[in-house]
Amino acid sequence: MMLKSKMPVRLNAAEETLIAQLRDAGDGAQAERLNVTGLPTRRVESYHYTDLKMLLKAVPPLVEAANSASAPALRVAGAYQLLIANGVPHPGTTAPAGVIVGTSDGAALSAHDDVLVRLNSALAKKSLSLTLEGSVDPIIQIDRRTEGAAAHSASSARIFVADNGSATILETYSGSSEAHVTNNASYIAVGRNATVTHITVDLSGDGVTHFATNEYVLAEGAKLRTLAIHAGSALARTQIFARFAGEGAHGDFGGLNLVGDGQHLDFTLDVNHGVPNTTSQEMFKQVGRGRSKGVFQGKIVVARDAQKTDAKMMMQGLMLSDQAEILSKPELEIYADDVVCGHGSTCGELDADSMFYLMSRGISKPEAETMLVRGFLEEVLDPIEDDELNEALTAVIDDWLVGAKQR
Amino acid sequence: MANPILEIRNLHARIEDREILKGVNLSIPAGELHAVMGRNGSGKSTLSYVLAGKDDYEITEGEVLLDGVDLLAMEPDERAAAGLFLAFQYPIEIPGVSTMTFLKAAMNAQRKSRGEGELSTPDFMRAVKEAGATLNIDASMLKRPLNVGFSGGEKKRAEVLQMALLAPKMCILDETDSGLDIDALQVVAKGVNGLRTAQRSMLVITHYQRLLNHIVPDVVHVFSDGRIVESGDKSLALQLEAKGYADFDSEPA
Repeated sequence: MMLKSKMPVRLNAAEETLIAQLRDAGDGAQAERLNVTGLPTRRVESYHYTDLKMLLKAVPPLVEAANSASAPALRVAGAYQLLIANGVPHPGTTAPAGVIVGTSDGAALSAHDDVLVRLNSALAKKSLSLTLEGSVDPIIQIDRRTEGAAAHSASSARIFVADNGSATILETYSGSSEAHVTNNASYIAVGRNATVTHITVDLSGDGVTHFATNEYVLAEGAKLRTLAIHAGSALARTQIFARFAGEGAHGDFGGLNLVGDGQHLDFTLDVNHGVPNTTSQEMFKQVGRGRSKGVFQGKIVVARDAQKTDAKMMMQGLMLSDQAEILSKPELEIYADDVVCGHGSTCGELDADSMFYLMSRGISKPEAETMLVRGFLEEVLDPIEDDELNEALTAVIDDWLVGAKQR
Repeated sequence: MANPILEIRNLHARIEDREILKGVNLSIPAGELHAVMGRNGSGKSTLSYVLAGKDDYEITEGEVLLDGVDLLAMEPDERAAAGLFLAFQYPIEIPGVSTMTFLKAAMNAQRKSRGEGELSTPDFMRAVKEAGATLNIDASMLKRPLNVGFSGGEKKRAEVLQMALLAPKMCILDETDSGLDIDALQVVAKGVNGLRTAQRSMLVITHYQRLLNHIVPDVVHVFSDGRIVESGDKSLALQLEAKGYADFDSEPA
C-alpha cells in the first residue's frame, strides 16, 4: 500500500492534454501539480459523485478567437447584454447608468483547493470587469458562448456591486453544438446593504462539458439571491462558493437540475458563514428523466465565532424514470455553539394520486406529468420578481419538459 | 329504448388479494339520480374509484358501459372525455399548480377530445365566473394552488365547479357531505341540484341520510359487503337512518 500510494498516477488522455495546455499557457507549476495528482476521482470528497478522471474522456484543443456567432441562447426584453465569446470579453455598447464595464488581466476567482478553479485561473487570460453602482435598472446579461470547432475554453467575470446598490445579473452559457469543454468563473462581491440577484443558466449543446464556479462574498447587510439552472450539456458541474464576510447579510441559494437521458449534472455548494448574525437558505431541486444522474452536494460551514447563524438547506428530487439517479449529500460543519442549522433531503416519483386526479379531469398523462413537474419547480422560480425574467426562465423549463420527452 | 347512461354488470374488483367488489349490478337511466348507501368499509368508495379508473384495483369479472361504450378499457382521461366525472371525497392538493391553470387545462383537454380549439382567456373567464357564481367561488380562490389550504367547503365547492364546467353526462359524487357543515352542505347541494338535467345522470355515494334531504334521489341502493343488497325509493334511506345497516347485512350479525 505504501509503495502504491507513492507511485505516480497513470494519466489518461484528458489529463495529458490538460497538462500540455497548462504548460503552453505558461503555468508550469499547475501542470506539474496535475501531473502528480491527476484529475479528482470519487475518492476526493468534493468529487464523490462526479469522478472527473472517469467522466472526462477527452479535452479538445484550447480555444481560438471566435469568428462566427450563434444567436444568444436566451433573450430577456430590455436586458443589457455583454458577450464573452470563446473566453474573450467584449465590453460592447454604451453601458446604462450606474454600470462601468471593462476588462482586466487574469482570472477573477480567489484561490480554492479545486482543480476547476486552478484550471480557470491558469487559462482565463482576461476577465470581464463590471462595477455596478446605485439601483441598476436593466437586467445585466452576460452571454457566454463557445463558437466554432470543439474547444477547451476558460472565461471569467469579476463583478462588484457597490454599497447600497441593487442589480440583477443573468448569465447564460451556449454556443456551437460541438464537444466543447468550457470552464466559466464569476466572482461577485456584494457591497454593504446591497441587493443582488444572480442567475446562471446552462443551455449548452448535447455534447458539451460545462464547468462553472460562482464565487460570492457578502459584506455587512448584503442580500443575495442566486439561482443556477442546468438545462443543457452532457456533463455539467456548477460550483458555488459563498462567504459571509459582514454581519446581517442574508443569502438565498437556489438551483434547478433538469437532467435528461445520458446527462450527468452536478451542483456543489459550499456556504461559509464566517461572521456572526448571518442567515442563509439553500433550496435545490432536481428532476431526472431517462438514464441520468443528478448530483447535489451542499456544505454549510459555520465558523467558530459566527454565533446566531441561521441556515436551512433543502434538496428535493423527482425521478421520472426507473433509471434516473438523484444523489444528495448535505453536510453541516459547525464550530459555533449558538446557531440554528438544518438540512433536509427528499426524493420520490410523481405522486400517483395527483396523477389520477388530473387525469380524471380529462388531462392526458404527458400533460398531467408536465403540470406536476412545473408545480414541483415553481417554488424555485417564484421568488424571481422581474416578470420578463421569470417568463424567460419558465420557458427554459417548458422547453426542457418538451425536449426531454423526445430524448 | 335508449341505453342507460351507466350500466354495471356483475362487477368484481380486488386490491392485492382482497376482493372488495363482489358482483355489483346497477343501471342508471338518463336523468336519474341514484344514491348508494352503505357503512364505512362496504366498498362504496372502491366502486367510485374503479369507475373512474384508478389503477390500484384489479377488475376480475364483469363490465361497465357508459352510454353503451366499454368504460373499463379506457384510461382515466379517456373516461373523462367520454363524459364521466368523479367528485372526490378527498380532493387532492397540488402545490405549484394554480386552480385557474388546472381548470383551463381540464376544459381545453375536453375541447380537444371533441375536436374543438382552445378556449380564449375571456371566454374561459366568463365560463368560470358564471359557473362559480352560485357556488360562492371568488377570484382569489382560483388564484391559489389547487385545493392547497382550501377548507372542506371550498374543496367540495371547487369539485362541483369542475363538474359544472366539464358538463359530464355521468356524475359520481363520493361522500360529498364529508367535512361539510350545514351551510356549506346547502351551497354544495344547490350547486349539484342546479346541474340535474333530463340527460345527465348522477350517482351519489354516502353513508349518511342527511345529504339526501338536500339532494333527493330517484332510487336508493343499499351497499353491503361489496354488492347492492336492496334497492328502493327515497324512503329506503329514511328506513336505513332509523334502523341502521344491520338488517341488510348479507351475513347474520
